[in-house]
Amino acid sequence: MDQDIQDILASVSAPTIPQRSIDLQALTRAWVQERTSPELLPYPSDLIERTMERLKKQIDNIENMTGTMDPQANFTLVIFQTELERFKFLIRSFLRARIAKIDKFAQHYLAQPDCLSPLEREYLHAHSSLLSAHYSTSFLSSFPIQLQKLDDTTGGISMVDKPDEDTAVFCRVLRDILEPVEVYGESETNDVELRRGDVWVLRWSAVREAVIRGDIELI
Amino acid sequence: MALPLAPGLTPSEVAFLCEMELVTVIPRQRLPSLELLAGPTARVEPPFPTPLPLWFALLLKRQRRANISPPPWLSVESLTAILDFETDDRTAGVFTPASPLPTSTTEPYMDRDPYLDSKSLESSPPFIIDSSTARAPGDALPYHWLELSHLLLTHAADDFVDADTVRRLVRDLREVRMSKLRKGFGVLDAGAGVKMNGVGAMEIAEVRGFVGGVVDGLRKLNKSREESRRERELEERESGMGRGGYPDDDDDDMQL
Repeated sequence: MDQDIQDILASVSAPTIPQRSIDLQALTRAWVQERTSPELLPYPSDLIERTMERLKKQIDNIENMTGTMDPQANFTLVIFQTELERFKFLIRSFLRARIAKIDKFAQHYLAQPDCLSPLEREYLHAHSSLLSAHYSTSFLSSFPIQLQKLDDTTGGISMVDKPDEDTAVFCRVLRDILEPVEVYGESETNDVELRRGDVWVLRWSAVREAVIRGDIELI
Repeated sequence: MALPLAPGLTPSEVAFLCEMELVTVIPRQRLPSLELLAGPTARVEPPFPTPLPLWFALLLKRQRRANISPPPWLSVESLTAILDFETDDRTAGVFTPASPLPTSTTEPYMDRDPYLDSKSLESSPPFIIDSSTARAPGDALPYHWLELSHLLLTHAADDFVDADTVRRLVRDLREVRMSKLRKGFGVLDAGAGVKMNGVGAMEIAEVRGFVGGVVDGLRKLNKSREESRRERELEERESGMGRGGYPDDDDDDMQL
């Protein structure tokens, strides 16, 4: 009975969540997942755009409010600024976590630029061309031609550093996963069922698709 | 520019997340609804308890504009009951179950929906409604229990009936659960399939480096064995298929 009432309440109150609050949830999740996944995740361009737009408006708003001497307005200002700083931290940390991955696996993402934003792509190209120019003037040019490549894949071993797709990640299941996930154990392969609310340590490669669908979140 | 931190949230980042939890505030002063970036806040009118994000509540508390009423699970009775459960021999292998996620209200993911689309975004801690407000359940610890108790006990100790006992119980609980977590590492396996229901955010932050390192290290050690087994399983599956009436037409497929 209690459960029924909760269901009804939930269905009634759900549509009233403003878009801005959902965006905060999405942004928070984007940040946490980017901080915990071994690989770059898709860039949520619409979300970042909307948030940046709101940040700009809020900064204007705060600038208009400064100058009043009213103590009540001053306190409101403190609240606005605190929240603004929290948002700025989220976005900054999110972008910096992405840049760290781009720097680390530059050659890999040069070949697969799908999940980069236009700005990140620009950064990656500029940065890697600067680096390779520097390498070739300082030492690469004195090497034999066949040893000058930075992305050599001959001989069975690739020079390109790739994110380790099998890294263990902590995740929470948000929607039941219908197909059991294969887990490679020490002596046997097991199928595990992932149910809503479960917390697991699994390989990134096993959950990547579900994370991008939003059925599983990284924590 | 690039973030110099290893993957995984640091304890201060976990606390930052926890500050987005809603808590119940008992105001002493009136405050109109504010148009924040995260949506309008509730109007604050004494003496009505109002749910507000923790960071906001702490700001009000510091300026003595409000009191924070601790969630029901952060009371002496609830913590004692939870501690009993945690120390019971019969439940030595599991944590206190977290309260279930509320009924899902979002649409399932559709193909070609963008990543983190708002239609299919399922809410999760710290945005679960009523996980740390005065209406929270008293018999389960929420995901951010340790950070939340720490923040409340540090900044709003005078709002507790018996802050010292609560503090002691929280510390006991933390130690019991940590030792459980460490014992659980016995089952760590190269397969990286460990279920940890009921674990808290700060506990994950504490063990992430260790668990991740062990699981990844074991996987690398067992890599060759795992690959040969995977091949063998694949072969078995294929030969099984072959007997089932599909004579090996794989090569033909390749040519088409």
